[in-house]
Amino acid sequence: MTCDDARVLMHGHLDGELDLVDDLEVQRHIEECPRCVSEYAALRAMRTRLKDDAFRFEAPAALKEKIRRAIPASTTARANGYQSRRGAWVPRAVRFAVPMAIGAMLALIIAPRTIAPALNQQLASEVVASHVRSLMATHLMDVASTDQHTVKPWFNGKLDFSPPVNDFAKDGFPLVGGRLDYIEGRPVAALVYQHGKHVINVFMWPTAGTATGAERIETEHGYNVEQLTVAGMNCWMVSDLNQLELDNFANLIRTKG
Amino acid sequence: MPDETKAVDFDRTFLPHMDAAYNLARWLVRDEHDAQDVVQEAYLRALRFAGGFRGGDPRAWILAIVRNTAFTWLKRNRGPASPTEFDEQMHSAAGEESGLEADAVRKADGAMIRAALEELTDDFREVIVMRDIEGLSYKEIADAADVPIGTVMSRLARARGKLARSLQERIGKDRIAKEPA
Repeated sequence: MTCDDARVLMHGHLDGELDLVDDLEVQRHIEECPRCVSEYAALRAMRTRLKDDAFRFEAPAALKEKIRRAIPASTTARANGYQSRRGAWVPRAVRFAVPMAIGAMLALIIAPRTIAPALNQQLASEVVASHVRSLMATHLMDVASTDQHTVKPWFNGKLDFSPPVNDFAKDGFPLVGGRLDYIEGRPVAALVYQHGKHVINVFMWPTAGTATGAERIETEHGYNVEQLTVAGMNCWMVSDLNQLELDNFANLIRTKG
Repeated sequence: MPDETKAVDFDRTFLPHMDAAYNLARWLVRDEHDAQDVVQEAYLRALRFAGGFRGGDPRAWILAIVRNTAFTWLKRNRGPASPTEFDEQMHSAAGEESGLEADAVRKADGAMIRAALEELTDDFREVIVMRDIEGLSYKEIADAADVPIGTVMSRLARARGKLARSLQERIGKDRIAKEPA
């Protein structure tokens, strides 16, 4: 990477807006280039300064009131209506959630032998699609950090569960970040690991099943996918790593996760 | 009552972003009273066009309207806009000037930062306000400022580079002024 490239890309790095590959490359460049490292430090310092509330103008109360009054029809209903209308969203959400939960439970009860492979296949495709998406420039890591104590708390409040987050750098699989993703229509934790130049996405979400180590390895669109259940988490790993290496990684997750 | 539902949705969707709207307007027109006029006008326009809101990020949507209203207002009241296109071409590379130092940036006081930010061209100032002060993502900035997402990062790079260099110059001048003769 040239300095000219790095001096643009370091902004995306600073803002957490780069895809994994560029992100790592620019970070490597910054670490090695004395000019870019000082430029990056200056940009970080400036961003910290600008975050100060002193630079954010708040709308005057009178203006807010004027705008509120200018909006017709709802003015009188707002004071008490706001809350109840908010509340009205909950049953609607429940109306969606209940059939989905029942469906999921039925699937678990009926599934074991007959439907399981089909379900698995569909999930595998979904997981691979998420993996591919994450490698394109569009999405990124939401939190880029090799520190499990940064990544794990980041999920707090974003998910209704706390995924196990471990760094396996010692074993050749460093943690590089995490993000939120959607699988089966629900938000899940996605942890990003690296092995050499290969990226591994680990998707995790709680499962009702208690079986551990019920893993399956499959190949889907040229990616290897491995699934296992560990510590009450449904855990899917996707990578272009070969099956043996991915399985080594899965073993780390199973034993330490 | 279709009118009411629309108004209620409008309340809940767009009114929480009045501070964001005002902040952007205030930085663009650089005057308290003018900014209030701009925001009020923008919200009335938003109300008129709310039917055209097709989901997506409501903050980016309202900021796009604020921004257009502000630029229209500036053109009407203060003549032609700052020569941003020309400026962007002049500085196509990320920077050929002196390197940046974190220390100089840290030494800058609030008044210096404010002045330096106000001196930036509108395009540069707005992208810094949206990203660093308002915290919008690149995607949201692309939507609000109506530029391709690929332009956001390069514009931000030039804008931040200019701001930091301007701060360094100000610090330098300040230091010379304070030195005993």
